[in-house]
Amino acid sequence: MAKTIMIVDDSSTMLMSLRNSLEIAGFNVLEGNDGSVALKTLQGGAKPDLIITDINMPKMGGIEFISKVRALPGFRFIPILALTTESQQGKRDEAKKLGATGWLLKPVSGTDLNKIIKQVLPGA
Amino acid sequence: MSGHQHRAPATGAALDVYLQLEEAIDGTLSGIICDTDSSARSIIKHVRRLHESASTLVSYLDGTSLQAGDFGKEILESVAFLGDIGAFIERLPEKMERDLSSVQALVAEIRFLGEVTSDVKAISLQSHLLAINAAVEAGRAGTVGSAFKVVADEMRRLAGNSSAMALKINKGLARAQEIVENGLQSTITESAGQIADVSKAAATIARLRDNFDDMSQYYKTRFAIVMKHNEDLVKDIGEALGQIQYQDVVRQSIERIRDAARRRNDALRSLAFMDGDHAGEDDELPVQLELILDDYLAEERKHRHPDRQTQGADAPLKVELF
Repeated sequence: MAKTIMIVDDSSTMLMSLRNSLEIAGFNVLEGNDGSVALKTLQGGAKPDLIITDINMPKMGGIEFISKVRALPGFRFIPILALTTESQQGKRDEAKKLGATGWLLKPVSGTDLNKIIKQVLPGA
Repeated sequence: MSGHQHRAPATGAALDVYLQLEEAIDGTLSGIICDTDSSARSIIKHVRRLHESASTLVSYLDGTSLQAGDFGKEILESVAFLGDIGAFIERLPEKMERDLSSVQALVAEIRFLGEVTSDVKAISLQSHLLAINAAVEAGRAGTVGSAFKVVADEMRRLAGNSSAMALKINKGLARAQEIVENGLQSTITESAGQIADVSKAAATIARLRDNFDDMSQYYKTRFAIVMKHNEDLVKDIGEALGQIQYQDVVRQSIERIRDAARRRNDALRSLAFMDGDHAGEDDELPVQLELILDDYLAEERKHRHPDRQTQGADAPLKVELF
């Protein structure tokens, strides 16, 4: 059965690009154009196998989103990858502390993204 | 010139024009962001359609390959069947040779029987002559020879019947011999040509099977090549979609430039509207500009592009799994 990946980014172009890349690779995709929208989706019962989130978003940024997701029941161990233009070590460390699984700098090639997903999502 | 003096009109006019230029540039930058966004979305759509076409092509090839496989199986079975028939027909001359020997033996037997009936005819003639002699002698013997005459007459009749029977048998045997020999000869003559044709057909069938094997292997190889190209195509499509992310990186970079420029322009605008009493406060302008510069550079440092970064200890990692 195909795995489901949730992507969170305030850029509609990024969402479109990621969605198509992941669907071509055989994944089901859920979207959120902000941390708050994505959080509502998860609270509504969605249970993706992996979450990929941007960091700099207007209403709820990625750091806050990661922290709130980890607090949800059943989401302690779901892999969460940050995909961002942010290269500050401080932000990386913060994300790691709050439970992020990995940190990817945009742009990430399709091949690299698939490789990383296979590493964090066994059976993908 | 003291700080309380009015600013030169030329400076104010220059500033006005400068700010107008900056506004125009700001508009262009916003336009660039929109254009690159539309273009990126359009590219994504086209790339996705490309992938769908490639997938459809592979499905067709897959289906065709399966059908070709079934068809090939049928052809091979038919060819094998025809090959068996051809082999059977090729063995026919040998069989016919054996049949010919049997028929020739039959003909020899018929000839022999013909000779036997000739002997029977000769014997019956002699018997007839003997019977005639016996009848003559019986006549000479008078009444004493009458019984003998009966026997002689009977013998003559038997000899006559035997001769007639032998003649009939001989005629029948001659006819049978003629039929067998003539029929066999025409069969052999006709069959020789047909067997030669069948041998050619068998050779053609064998070539057909070999050609089919070659063709099947050729298409299998081509199919494997097409599948490999399709895999490469899917990989390249994935890479192309990944490259679209540059649009987001560029958009953010332009937004940072635009935001810094707007802040700078706001600070300069304040300077342009200052009157003479507050002219001394334009000393704050360098401080404001320096702040804008620091903020801009700090933001740029946060978003250093790893692909443009030269090698060094502080180069950001593109991928880090915790």
